[in-house]
Amino acid sequence: MPTAHLIAVGSSPLGKTDLPGRDLFSKALAEAFEELPDPADVVDGLYVGAQSERYENQIMQGTLMAEWAGLRNVPAERVEACAAAGALALKNAVRDVRAGVHDAVLACGVEKMTAGGTEGATNALGAAFERALEQRSGITAPATYALLARRYLHETDATERDLARIAVKNHRNAASNPRAMFQDEVDIETAMNAPDVAPPLKLYDCAPVTDGAAAVVVANDEVAADLQARADAVRVAGVGSAANNLAVAERDLTYVEGANVAASTAYEDAGVDATDVDVAEVHDAFTVCEALLAEAAEFAPKGRGIETVEDPADRSAGWTDVQINTSGGLKARGHPIGATGLLQAVEAHEQLTGRAGERQVADADTALLINEGGVADAHTVAHVLTARGE
Amino acid sequence: MTDTDSTTTGPLAPEDITADSPFTLPGFFDALADGQLLAARCTECETHMLPPRPACYGCGSRAVTLAEQPRTGEVISYTSVNRPPSAFDHLAPITVAVVELDTSARLTGRVDAPLDDVSIGDRVELQVRDPETADIDPDFDLSYEEEWPVHVFELL
Ligand SMILES: [Zn+2]
Repeated sequence: MPTAHLIAVGSSPLGKTDLPGRDLFSKALAEAFEELPDPADVVDGLYVGAQSERYENQIMQGTLMAEWAGLRNVPAERVEACAAAGALALKNAVRDVRAGVHDAVLACGVEKMTAGGTEGATNALGAAFERALEQRSGITAPATYALLARRYLHETDATERDLARIAVKNHRNAASNPRAMFQDEVDIETAMNAPDVAPPLKLYDCAPVTDGAAAVVVANDEVAADLQARADAVRVAGVGSAANNLAVAERDLTYVEGANVAASTAYEDAGVDATDVDVAEVHDAFTVCEALLAEAAEFAPKGRGIETVEDPADRSAGWTDVQINTSGGLKARGHPIGATGLLQAVEAHEQLTGRAGERQVADADTALLINEGGVADAHTVAHVLTARGE
Repeated sequence: MTDTDSTTTGPLAPEDITADSPFTLPGFFDALADGQLLAARCTECETHMLPPRPACYGCGSRAVTLAEQPRTGEVISYTSVNRPPSAFDHLAPITVAVVELDTSARLTGRVDAPLDDVSIGDRVELQVRDPETADIDPDFDLSYEEEWPVHVFELL
């Protein structure tokens, strides 16, 4: 089976920007191809993650992004699983390269979330929830995650302050990430005193509404060897995905089983286990998710996922020494829905190639990415990335 | 709970899947409007599913039958939607909960009580409201949803 390499990455500015979706994509593409020939001379296909056509009244992003990249009459498909769309694009690109269907594929994601204001984003995201009983009860993304958080605080020793510390840690990480939407640190009292969004979740427990795009090039050995200026490409060593139930009511509120299946599958595919992972980007759409995913990825014992904020030496027995969400996570790097899974890959690429600057984790050679869509593990895609030579 | 007169013990046949059957959404909501809350019950593993569906997520079996559900259950988790979708704006803040009925079927719903009055473990009863009484902006409904009732929990 051909090996899939991540040979180039790029992202757009993140936040409320004056650029529509296709132009955000152009920014991400321009960075990814800074040191490469034209996309038409490199890739044979494209996948684009995009959550909703409601933002810009545009579907057919496969065709549109291919055109903007100068690709014509190649396979180019939009993929969708709410916020897991970006990782789905990467997964499909990796699958095609591993299967020998294509030598190189462009995986990208884009979302122009601010187009309809907060109300537009709330309504667009609402389509991710089960319609018949849950949407018709008036739920929102913060409310569904608040249902997880309330139960987590009930079943474990964790407190609202523990959740707030996750936001504080992720803002601190973002402050040293030039790509991040938020460059400011936040103190614990500010986070604790912020307005309620859906109790027990407050403003700083929630990832922001973000415009943004990301693009990565996945290539086989030959293309990677031809085009890679440096010998430090990153390998996509493992892939896993799983769909759990759609309705939040019908899932385990304190154990994201689908995420555990996806991560375990990716570990097995890569021939690693949780203790091998040095850095992880996990889907902290809400602070409680970071704790739940640390447990699902088998980094943390049950009920102690909140210790992502601690130095490894200070964590409970049974914890690994992984560093989580060095990018600032969805919370502080930003969460442009369809692009988020690829922004996770961008951070892993920087960590595994030693380009992460102040937030560089020493000797990082294995990364786990977990990207989720719907509420929590309604859909999970996991990737294991390794530095070349591992 | 006694099963209804459904005799289904295996995969639904194509001709079973009509808008009259509670295994479809129109049939489920018609029954609810008539006062019957029907779940699919898996005859292999006893998982109860709302709304009813043709296969069991617990074990994968298609040997599902219909079972009328009790109206009473317990709050598993709860919160308040402070900024709801547009069609629910006038109802904010909306208390919502995940409730486990006494058969172990679980569903999310609005709770007709202020957030501060609700706790995990509280007993609640499911009420069925017609669309007007439920007070959702009619623009929210798709054409086929207009007559469907809405469930709301009340604290016992
Ligand atoms: Zn079953």
